[in-house]
Amino acid sequence: MVNVEEIRDFAAGLLERGEVKSVLGFRHGSASAFAEPCTLTEADDAASLVWDPTCLNNLALYLVKDRKQQAASKTPDTRPVGIVAKGCDSRAVGVLLQENYFKREDVVVIGISCEGTGVVDPKKLSNKLKGRTASRVTFDGADGISVSVYGDETETVIPAREVLADRCLECRAAAPALNNVVFGDSVEARDYNEPFHAAKEAENVSEDERWATWEHHFDRCLRCFACRAVCPMCYCPECVVDSTTFVVTLGTSAKEKANRIRWCERSANTSESAVYHLTRAIHLAGRCIDCGECERVCPVNIPLRLLNTKLEKEAFEMFEYQAGHDIEQASLLSSFRDEDPNSFIR
Amino acid sequence: MEKILSQEKLREWVDTLDDCEVHAPAFADSVWNYARIEAGADIDLSHTNTIGSIKTFVFPQREVFFRFEKKDGVPLLTSTLPDPIPTVVFGVRPCDGRGMPRNDTVFNKEFEDPYYWARRDKLTLIGLACNQPHSPNCFCQSVGGSPHSEEGLDILMTDLGDRFHVKGITAKGVEIMERGRDAFDAVSDSDQADAGKIHETSRSYPQRPLGDLDAIPEALRENFDSPLWADMAQHCIGCGICTFLCPTCHCFDINDEVTSPTSGEGERVRTWDNCQFPDFTMHTSGHNPRGDLGSRLRQRVNHKFLYFVENHNTQQCTGCGRCITECPVGIDIVAVLERVSQ
Amino acid sequence: MTDNIYLPKIGRIVGIDEETQGARAIKTFKVEFPNSDGFEHNCGQCAMLSMFGKGESMISIASSPLVKEYKQFSIMKMGRVTSAFHAARVGDFIGIRGPYGNQFPLDDWKGRDLVFIGGGVGLAPIWPVIQTAVARREDFGKITVFYGARTSSNIMYEADFEKLKASVEVQLSVDAPEEGWPGYTGFVPANLMDKAPSPDNAIAITCGPPIMIKFVIQNLQALGFADEQIYTTIENKMKCGIGKCGRCNVGKDYVCVKGPVYSWAELKSLPQEY
Repeated sequence: MVNVEEIRDFAAGLLERGEVKSVLGFRHGSASAFAEPCTLTEADDAASLVWDPTCLNNLALYLVKDRKQQAASKTPDTRPVGIVAKGCDSRAVGVLLQENYFKREDVVVIGISCEGTGVVDPKKLSNKLKGRTASRVTFDGADGISVSVYGDETETVIPAREVLADRCLECRAAAPALNNVVFGDSVEARDYNEPFHAAKEAENVSEDERWATWEHHFDRCLRCFACRAVCPMCYCPECVVDSTTFVVTLGTSAKEKANRIRWCERSANTSESAVYHLTRAIHLAGRCIDCGECERVCPVNIPLRLLNTKLEKEAFEMFEYQAGHDIEQASLLSSFRDEDPNSFIR
Repeated sequence: MEKILSQEKLREWVDTLDDCEVHAPAFADSVWNYARIEAGADIDLSHTNTIGSIKTFVFPQREVFFRFEKKDGVPLLTSTLPDPIPTVVFGVRPCDGRGMPRNDTVFNKEFEDPYYWARRDKLTLIGLACNQPHSPNCFCQSVGGSPHSEEGLDILMTDLGDRFHVKGITAKGVEIMERGRDAFDAVSDSDQADAGKIHETSRSYPQRPLGDLDAIPEALRENFDSPLWADMAQHCIGCGICTFLCPTCHCFDINDEVTSPTSGEGERVRTWDNCQFPDFTMHTSGHNPRGDLGSRLRQRVNHKFLYFVENHNTQQCTGCGRCITECPVGIDIVAVLERVSQ
Repeated sequence: MTDNIYLPKIGRIVGIDEETQGARAIKTFKVEFPNSDGFEHNCGQCAMLSMFGKGESMISIASSPLVKEYKQFSIMKMGRVTSAFHAARVGDFIGIRGPYGNQFPLDDWKGRDLVFIGGGVGLAPIWPVIQTAVARREDFGKITVFYGARTSSNIMYEADFEKLKASVEVQLSVDAPEEGWPGYTGFVPANLMDKAPSPDNAIAITCGPPIMIKFVIQNLQALGFADEQIYTTIENKMKCGIGKCGRCNVGKDYVCVKGPVYSWAELKSLPQEY
């Protein structure tokens, strides 16, 4: 069992010794049963850290954010940052290292093993409760997630596998391989789903049905861009789907701005939203580490993870490549081997 | 007009509206949202609150203003002003109902928005009182509303368990009730008492408090330059969830979408936009008056609890709690207001 | 049917003047309404101009309200829409809707001295005020026009300035030394201090790059101008022009409706989000 006190002590120690400028972690949210991200800068604040199956966020996003802020700052603070990371989150740090977004010594990974379970999928929970809100979600230590429903304080125990996030059910590495420290036991044997289970299931339906499904989903997209905004890999200062570029300076020429191609219109309709989501998926091929954040944040529940895991599966089956598993490895899209199936690169 | 409607007769009433577009909450893709229903048999009013608000019926995510093409070298514009059939929406929660008059104010003001009003004039809103809060983030009563507020609604229904108490509020609402008159029963004193009891109980549940509403504008004015904003926006990811789901957020973008690059034909389109996006205020020079997340969070909160109050003497927030519940990183407008008010 | 406020009127470009060259060139467009559905405007108002397929941009109306046959717009090449304008030719059609915004309260200024201070393309929004004041010359006291550009070849409305000299005092400046330049050399705020117009019974009207406006206002205050005697016109990104889309919102104001003209006294009460 993960003892949250140990995490708090470790975080406090890092801050006390000045080894990091801040620690990214989870605290109780003011708004719901789910934890929310926090950034600690004082050792005393470490007492607010929590660890439970509602610690959903992939905090690697904030490493990227900090990097951007320091790059724009006139007085950058480049001291290391500590980050509480689940197995998947640590792989996100790994990809960022592979892509040289920052250096290994810039980050202290406070790894936490999910110990063979994982985190709750708010959508599955919502389905169970038919839209009602949970007021308390706890893990009973075995295979049950205990849930209290808002407005009806009776507690229900739901088998973990029924409300765990799909990615957790298919997880290949629940303990962070990339770490400075790991809390919790490394439990490798899991009897949930095989890797890429959902993607394989989805492949079993006909192309027409698949297209109809995705048309339905793209149609519902609000284009709130939460999926992009929450993704640690979507760090580009300008995105192909934006009609404006955010790297405009006083020196950017009118021609450059006028000639910017609108690959995707702002309209939330099937074609434009399909372009947005498919482009995003392609740009994450070999980079997505399956933290499932894109799918979690989607307010209308578009199963975005399926798009990404499909490409992850291709990368694994064709190139035996798993993003973020080995930071010494060159990233998939910036390397080639003689045995690669495509000939054009040779 | 007040009537009683049994659970079974609800379907009958819906079926009398066969020349209207009828929308009702539906649970699909693990979420409640409005969907068009074809028959009374499809109605399900066991919903919490819908994820999307009713603003979409008057201010759709995408509205084509007009089509443009060239005829003999001269631009020819064809207006695409909508002319919808009457639309009836069931199951509107009172917080969303209260959003509508606030939107009416915005789309009226000095310039009447013809696209908004073409849809609005054909819209009938049938509310459903909340017997208890759906979420720990409900705060309708803290912003001057109530779980059975009639503001903005044409009809208010109250679920009495085996039957509904149905009250026609506007002439439009009464007319919709008249059409289903055979489905309704007369209301008795005990029905009235039951409805009153349920309303009273619904108000007694604790909600997120905002304290003295009248003191908030001054607190916001005083804290305009406060470092709190950057701190509270520290984990904001700058997405559009809070504003897109909000029943009163109305900001939009206008763009030309070329459908034929060869002839130059296309459409001028209005789409939802969001003050939390970085390009929202960015000038073409690259100068951005609200260039950081803190100033953008401040804008969202100030617009609702300061500027709108200064201009229209009421908050542009009805306490539905969607922006809180759906925020991926826990940004909580009630907590924000608490902090600036301290 | 209600008047469709989003549907532009058709305008035809009947004249193009190249004001300045370079990466951020300025051209002045004369626009007529071929369908005789033009509108009247007041000094300081703007119009939403369209290049169909490219989009809309809010541009100050640079011609005097007294000119009824056409409207004039001075447009700097900055982005998508303005680049399309710069590629346009005489005879081309555009979309135009408006007029939007408030106006300079010229009538309130009867009998007072007027000091105009413009820089770069910022001359355009105050140009109609200058033109109208000159047309009603007897209504006002002394009129002085300060205008500065980077170089003498960047001076806008050059020919008109010559005509203007007959009835008002013109103080031109260029930023850097130039051989044979008869006017002031240096920035506009410095020229203003050099000539030191009197604040007595005067109104100052300024528009230009934000940094220039900032120093002009500081210098006006140093010269003794009260906040109520200083007027400027601000801009923000705008999409609708009618106080709905939210882009130009600053404090309780939508600049497109309550602005763009503000006295410094009014502007000071708004957040500096422009």
